[in-house]
Amino acid sequence: MFKGIMEWVDERLPVTELIKSQATEYPTPKNLNYWWNFGSLALFVLIIQLVTGIFLAMHYKPDAALAFDSVEHIMRDVNWGWLLRYLHANGATAFFVMIYIHILRGMYYGSHRKPREILWWFGVIIFFALMGTAFMGYVLPWGQMSYWGAAVITNLVSALPVVGQDLVVWVWGGFAVGDPTLNRFFALHFLLPFVVFGLVILHMWALHAVHSNNPDGIDLEEKDTIPFHPYFTIKDLYGVGVFLIVFCAFVFYNPNFFLEPDNYIQADPMKTPAHIVPEWYFLPFYAVLRSIDFLGTMSKLVGVIAMGAAIAILFILPFLDRSPVRSFRYRPISRALFWIFVVDCFVLGWVGYNPADATVFGGMPIIYVGRTATAIYFSYFALLWLVTALKVEKPQPVPKSL
Amino acid sequence: MVTQQDDNRRDFLILATSAVGAVGVAGAVWPFIRSWSPSADVLAQATTEVNLSNIQEGQMITVPWQGKPVFILHRSPDQIAAAKKDDAETMRQPEKDADRVKDEKWLVVLALCTHLGCVPQPVGTGDYGGFLCPCHGSHYDTSGRIRKGPAPENLPVPHHEFKDANTLVIGKAVG
Amino acid sequence: MDFMNTVKAALVTAALVLPVLPQTGLASSGGPPLPQEDWSFKGIFGQFDQAALKRGAKVTIEVCLGCHSIKYIKFDHLRQFGFTEAEVSEMAGGAGLTKQDKLVSGLAPADAKESFGLVPPDLSLMTKARKGYEDYTFAILTGYLTEEDTALVDAAKEDGTLSPEEITKLASALHMDPHHPEKIDEAVKRIANGDHFNKYFPGNFLAMPAPLSAGAVTYADGTEATVKQLAKDVTTFLAWAAEPTQTERKSTGHKVILYLIVLTAMLYAVKRRIWARVHH
Repeated sequence: MFKGIMEWVDERLPVTELIKSQATEYPTPKNLNYWWNFGSLALFVLIIQLVTGIFLAMHYKPDAALAFDSVEHIMRDVNWGWLLRYLHANGATAFFVMIYIHILRGMYYGSHRKPREILWWFGVIIFFALMGTAFMGYVLPWGQMSYWGAAVITNLVSALPVVGQDLVVWVWGGFAVGDPTLNRFFALHFLLPFVVFGLVILHMWALHAVHSNNPDGIDLEEKDTIPFHPYFTIKDLYGVGVFLIVFCAFVFYNPNFFLEPDNYIQADPMKTPAHIVPEWYFLPFYAVLRSIDFLGTMSKLVGVIAMGAAIAILFILPFLDRSPVRSFRYRPISRALFWIFVVDCFVLGWVGYNPADATVFGGMPIIYVGRTATAIYFSYFALLWLVTALKVEKPQPVPKSL
Repeated sequence: MVTQQDDNRRDFLILATSAVGAVGVAGAVWPFIRSWSPSADVLAQATTEVNLSNIQEGQMITVPWQGKPVFILHRSPDQIAAAKKDDAETMRQPEKDADRVKDEKWLVVLALCTHLGCVPQPVGTGDYGGFLCPCHGSHYDTSGRIRKGPAPENLPVPHHEFKDANTLVIGKAVG
Repeated sequence: MDFMNTVKAALVTAALVLPVLPQTGLASSGGPPLPQEDWSFKGIFGQFDQAALKRGAKVTIEVCLGCHSIKYIKFDHLRQFGFTEAEVSEMAGGAGLTKQDKLVSGLAPADAKESFGLVPPDLSLMTKARKGYEDYTFAILTGYLTEEDTALVDAAKEDGTLSPEEITKLASALHMDPHHPEKIDEAVKRIANGDHFNKYFPGNFLAMPAPLSAGAVTYADGTEATVKQLAKDVTTFLAWAAEPTQTERKSTGHKVILYLIVLTAMLYAVKRRIWARVHH
């Protein structure tokens, strides 16, 4: 019976063939380690966010006068509303944890290198889209951090020469962040995840065209691959299980860990909180923005450009790395640079979390740490290029096959 | 038809894991389904308390109850008599007036015409001195019973109780 | 690859430890360290002390509600921790309200602004909306000058100038920095002026006079109404008001986590079984 139906469908649309070639029998390197789980985990979190988000939207009110109350209505009155909201709020954090690990994994094992540049670019575009989605989502509860975060970030637009001031008024739909801003951010926050989902499909298409990279970064022969199902379906499911344990521990036991207390105060356009910080996942880029403060009137514009460049530089990463070997496993200098880069990102995050005028290590302004860390951040890309283009690095012997 | 031996399918461990996983998925779906049920603040509105002291004999008020209009009519002796007299008449949905009121002075009916849901006009309209629905001309008597026109049933009487002489509670508390 | 293993270990440790820490956030309060109380509702197995909730509700309604509202809580909600319908109606009646009303202060916002210069904040989310959470609320309620503190301040302002010993004593009593005597001096002057000093409020002076005094209410269960006891009960009640669903959240969490551990262990076993066929 079922077979008959499938035959009928397959004659018209080759579903079975697609599932076989792209999923069940899709050849996958057998040496993938657990760092390769984070792609499927990111997709899993995207689905959590979509589903919880749609249900939250059924109770939320995108109106400056009602938004804050409607979130508390969800927390208190809606059946299981607290669970939907905490899943969604912590889901944003989980998403960025997954994405950051996923990106760093790609950088370490050379997953962006030829022939996977387009695959990588879709990834960077997804990253950009996610940052926009997360930013606008954070505005929706209309707490003090929502409001002032929105004010600060939208003000970045005003750094653009000539049109900046007019443009920011256009973005706000008023003379300051307000009801029109909230309303449009809600619409976009609803829309963008579906755009991200489309981009994910393109990302997977690009992946399946060139196939997965692997920890050795070598081109594999057929004997070194295994079918995706059941090997990687079960491995990914196991990863989902481990992820859910940690995720649910946060959701049920410490759901406000990543949230700022100030966001439980309703937005007040007349009063800025003493110390405003973006969500943790923006902190390194926020630190880059603030580190450029020594150029007088140009500081604002250059700061914004530096912040954008910190992410956009990922686009040219595939061409900066000139080494004949993809995986840093066999590249001692690149490996060292990589870990310095990772530590540097944490330092930037820490700088971004502290007030701009803080002092550290007994009197040193933190801005110096920020400037140094920003310099190191960009140096990583420059040095990676120099070390490989000038052949300073002598790669260790790479296996021909597994 | 699967007749050949398949290691995966027959493996008890995989079967058990799938079953446990399926239970989890079902459990995870439940909060989403339940989030559509009336929330705590809506349930708190399941009852409406009405102060009756200001309604004169022969007059009525309309109060919202669970988002729907309810007529509360303080019936005069004439209106009571008219309702009782007609108990014997042939009716579309025969009901005794006494079965429709808790205290014969007070008629409490859901003010949505049983034809297509319009709100009938206040007391004293229509051929029977009760309520006339303006949409398609259904006539209800002073007991809220359908007497003429296209509506199929009498105006429903919601659950109500007199908390004290001057306080009426419409509806039953939920949760 | 040793370094990679260190990274993995650090990630796993963070993932396991962070969520089960007591309800804290990335944020720390700054300012003087807050007094640490044992809260019945803290920790993953914490439950609200029902008796403390009932006492706290009484204090909140009789004292706090004079100026502050708790707009997300209705009197009727108080039945959730053991008050009867009659008791709830009586409490509401005492405030001139009915049980279906929200806990709204009798003090109109406009009047408050005229008397205090600002509208007293709504307390519904107070314990979630400040760094330090319930510890901060408790610290503010108990952070006003005690009798000994007041005596010390009075003695210090007698002669007009502060001696080094007085600075040291005042700094420790007021939780201020002894390296900034000018700030202590200014604080002493403002206290003499009648401003409200609080050891834990950022900037030390706030619009709210000390709200609690010993014996401010008479507890039905005979508990002695010291300032500390009152503060603790009010804080417990406000922590409940900030998130009445947290008991449900934790108990659901136990079931979910337990289930996930079982499921994940099974998935791991299946994964081992299937991957046994792959030869490296």
